[in-house]
Amino acid sequence: MNTFLQQLITGISIGSIYALLAVGYALVFSVFNFSNFGFGATMMFGAFAAYYVILGLKLPLFVSILLGMAAAGIVSMMFELVIYRPMRKKNVMRIYLMIAGLGINIFAPNFMLQIVGGAVKGFPSDWARVTMTVGSVNITRSDVLALVMSIALLTLLWAFLYKTRVGLGIRASAFDTRTAALMGINVNVVASAVFIFSGAAAGVAGCFYGMKYSVYPAMGAVATKGFIASTVGGLGSLGGAVVAGLLLGFLETMIASYISTTYRDLFAYALLVIVLIFLPGGLMGRQVHDKI
Amino acid sequence: MGYLEGISISICINIVCVCGIAILTGYMGLFSMGHACFLCLGAYTSACLTKYLGVNYFLSLLAGGAVAATGSVVIGIPTLRGKISGDCFTIATLGFGEAVRILMANIGVNIFGGATGLSGLEHFTDLKSSVVIAVLAILLTRNYAKSQHGKIALAIRDYADASELLGVNIFREKLKALMISAFFCGVGGGMMAHYYVYIVPNIFGNTMSNNLLTSVVLGGVASITGPATATGMLTAMPEAFRFLDNWRLSIYGLTLLIIMRVRPEGLFAYKEITAPFTALSRWIKTKLFKPTVKA
Repeated sequence: MNTFLQQLITGISIGSIYALLAVGYALVFSVFNFSNFGFGATMMFGAFAAYYVILGLKLPLFVSILLGMAAAGIVSMMFELVIYRPMRKKNVMRIYLMIAGLGINIFAPNFMLQIVGGAVKGFPSDWARVTMTVGSVNITRSDVLALVMSIALLTLLWAFLYKTRVGLGIRASAFDTRTAALMGINVNVVASAVFIFSGAAAGVAGCFYGMKYSVYPAMGAVATKGFIASTVGGLGSLGGAVVAGLLLGFLETMIASYISTTYRDLFAYALLVIVLIFLPGGLMGRQVHDKI
Repeated sequence: MGYLEGISISICINIVCVCGIAILTGYMGLFSMGHACFLCLGAYTSACLTKYLGVNYFLSLLAGGAVAATGSVVIGIPTLRGKISGDCFTIATLGFGEAVRILMANIGVNIFGGATGLSGLEHFTDLKSSVVIAVLAILLTRNYAKSQHGKIALAIRDYADASELLGVNIFREKLKALMISAFFCGVGGGMMAHYYVYIVPNIFGNTMSNNLLTSVVLGGVASITGPATATGMLTAMPEAFRFLDNWRLSIYGLTLLIIMRVRPEGLFAYKEITAPFTALSRWIKTKLFKPTVKA
């Protein structure tokens, strides 16, 4: 029972990281109908920004996480301005946007590798590493922080989407981008907001992942798990992304501890394939058809 | 074996694989992010056949291709059926590719060698046979493109609904393209196994799938020699730019980004480089059929 509780905590904390990443994917997909594969890079930049803010400026942990978020948001926004927006203006196929994202994903980690080196860096925060004991279960502060901040951020995002004018614009554009533009919604503003928010979510996820494990140039690879979660939850569905992210983290941890660690990744990919085969729309998504 | 010869063999292997993906991506408009798994299946099949059963190299290549094509049916039938969006196929191939790689590392450890791979293969892949297979692959792909299948593929890619109204069985044509592409990749995988004489599941990862997809996208849609040239360039370029050290990987990503930004349909879209082939056929004609001089 103790092991189970311990694994449950681990599963939820890694699951909340996946959920943050999945929400970022879902946000971009819901408006623009493509998956931003540059997300791993965004996450990595966010984590490195927070890392260097703590090391260089000696700022407290929370401020540096916020700065990491901001940095990731700006990076994500830059990808949109420099790459995605001009491509969308040309009306290219959506898949080319995804391939451009792959290009980012090849470029950014290798670029960082040359700049900062490939060494695996521990997140320089002693506060986060302290372990609390509740009953007979050990919880590190970073796990609690990851869960609390994920919930807070997701609530904030929900409030933004459902209570503000820009949020209304985003939801309208997600429903039908062209009609939304005809109704006087500035799609470019919506696009910027979407990319900044999804980038910020990726940045936070990067910080937490860095705290839980470590910071290194290739850490963006974990964003694939977020992508799987967003697909399993239903492409473009924010609620589905959160549920599937938590579920994926939980199931992965359970499989790693009770069956075998080698089959952990296999399970994630098998889940992806099975969901796509039997429920192409995902757990909570609408049925996706190619538009004519 | 010389350095240049090694690079040439690598280029030939990549051309064989890319020809298959050109059919799937350039003509049918389906994007796969996990084609390395078909190389993996082909490589393991042909390696096991030559290593344990002593089967002829070329037969083992065909068998590897056949197994890869069979494997592609598993992923193709559920994801290409009905009006499921093309993205679903792309994502499913990503999952399938990774799943195959992890499975190969964990099942049948005493046959496939697990994560440490299969070693002690014979070195069968030489330059001459690789060039022949690569040229053959290009010619076969050209035949596909020029036949009714290629034309149907283009019709499906551009106007799926219209072609369905004209009586095209979209599912069957898509599955056909997928199987052909998997077959080519399986053959390429077999050649790779007998060139490196050592295979591990981890080389058939995301990077390889992405490199193959990149070559096709860079080369251009609805073209065969374009992607073939592109993969040649992409294989040779890192060798030529050795002095850039590890920067070349970021330059590689940047190149992809710039191409996508400036010319997303690829460098040689809808164009073929025919000059070397006409020269080749003219040379063959003059060699085999001596021109008769009329009096």
